[in-house]
Amino acid sequence: MSDNTSLLTISGLNLWYGETHALKNISMEIQDKKVTALIGPSGCGKSTLIRCFNRMNDLVNGCRIDGTVRFHETEIYADGADPAELRRKIGMVFQKPNPFPKSIYENIAYGPRIHGINDRAKLDGIVETSLKKAALWDEVKDRLHHSAMGLSGGQQQRLCIARTIAVEPEVILMDEPCSALDPIATAKIESLIEELKKQYCVIIVTHNMQQAARVSDYTGFMYMGDLAEFGETVQIFENPKNELTENYITGRFG
Amino acid sequence: MAEKLHVQLEELQEEILSMADLAREMLSGSVEAMIAQDAEAAEEIIVRLGEIREMNDRLEERCYQMIALYQPMATDMRKIACGLKVIASSDRIGRYGKDIAKMVEDISDKPHLAHMLSIPHMAGLVLEMVDDAVNAYRTGDLSYIEDFSRRDDAVDALRYSIFREAITYMMEDPKNISRCTDYIMMSRYLERCGDHAGKIAENVHYMVTGEHIEIQ
Repeated sequence: MSDNTSLLTISGLNLWYGETHALKNISMEIQDKKVTALIGPSGCGKSTLIRCFNRMNDLVNGCRIDGTVRFHETEIYADGADPAELRRKIGMVFQKPNPFPKSIYENIAYGPRIHGINDRAKLDGIVETSLKKAALWDEVKDRLHHSAMGLSGGQQQRLCIARTIAVEPEVILMDEPCSALDPIATAKIESLIEELKKQYCVIIVTHNMQQAARVSDYTGFMYMGDLAEFGETVQIFENPKNELTENYITGRFG
Repeated sequence: MAEKLHVQLEELQEEILSMADLAREMLSGSVEAMIAQDAEAAEEIIVRLGEIREMNDRLEERCYQMIALYQPMATDMRKIACGLKVIASSDRIGRYGKDIAKMVEDISDKPHLAHMLSIPHMAGLVLEMVDDAVNAYRTGDLSYIEDFSRRDDAVDALRYSIFREAITYMMEDPKNISRCTDYIMMSRYLERCGDHAGKIAENVHYMVTGEHIEIQ
């Protein structure tokens, strides 16, 4: 998988929460314009791993990291690297939709404003494009100034995706983006992921193996802090090489 | 839930093996009835067609239900995929048995010609292939099927030689035509059964290793 489209290169990544060794010597390459899924039982380190990609773990007390995460040619943990700039390029969508208690419009415009865009026409354009890319525009275009809290769970999650897109990231991290949604809202997010990968690198953590199988191009199976197996999704689900992967995806443990 | 799937997968395999055994009995029984020119024994095989058809429909449906309910993956998925192929091939082998049994009555008014050419020998090879393919499915042991390409070639060669030989008998005496046509048909059916044993072997290989092979 080592070719010139790999956008994130992780090598020898270790992470400790205090005494707990939560990520053990992870090395992997993540491809641009593809969906990479991380699966594994609860506590295996998959969320911890994606939080390393935009330095969300920096905020956790007692968290220590060694090894390297390269984004393009830049080491993201290098001295002087700017986490705020990194998080603009590598956006994140969480398990529970978390719109700001503001209007739909303001949710999207918030990020670009912080990055210095104040021109009304330009913001209008960003709001419209972002909502379109998140497949939400048609549902909300007539109530952009209503509160985002009035949207359904699935719409809120798509709003969060639109909010992420608004600052023009290159990578979208999704941590269990559908686990709080019903099957119809889930299907919408899944087809949205399919669209998003044309333009972005998407990394998704999911408990739902069928979801990983449906949406991703590459799948990593994590177990107790190890990346036990990483490969093309079809191979992982049809013919896994690692017995742990086999046992997990066939429900023999986990 | 996974536990339930695994219990059902074992039960499914047991039932598919019973179906494969029935198919094998229909084929070997029809060959024996043909050799012995025993129309009564042949009739007993023909009536079993309903049984194998019922198993085919029921087990195939069971596989689809398991896919719909459990969305199986990895070996679980491969076991069902292989199971479906074993069901289809067993159905065909059973039906060829029935087709051979149906020829017995035609041929039973006159003694066999030239000890049925090489048909008994060919039938022995084919039945061994069927047994070994089914044993591989039963046990997951691929050593049963490792020389299948060579065995398949031997069966093909026999079919061709039976065809050539039958033609010479037909040219010698037109009274031989009806029997010889049956021999040609029978060798054709046996060869197809060998191919189905090969299909089962290919799918067992996939079930066990996840890799596709071609037996030809």
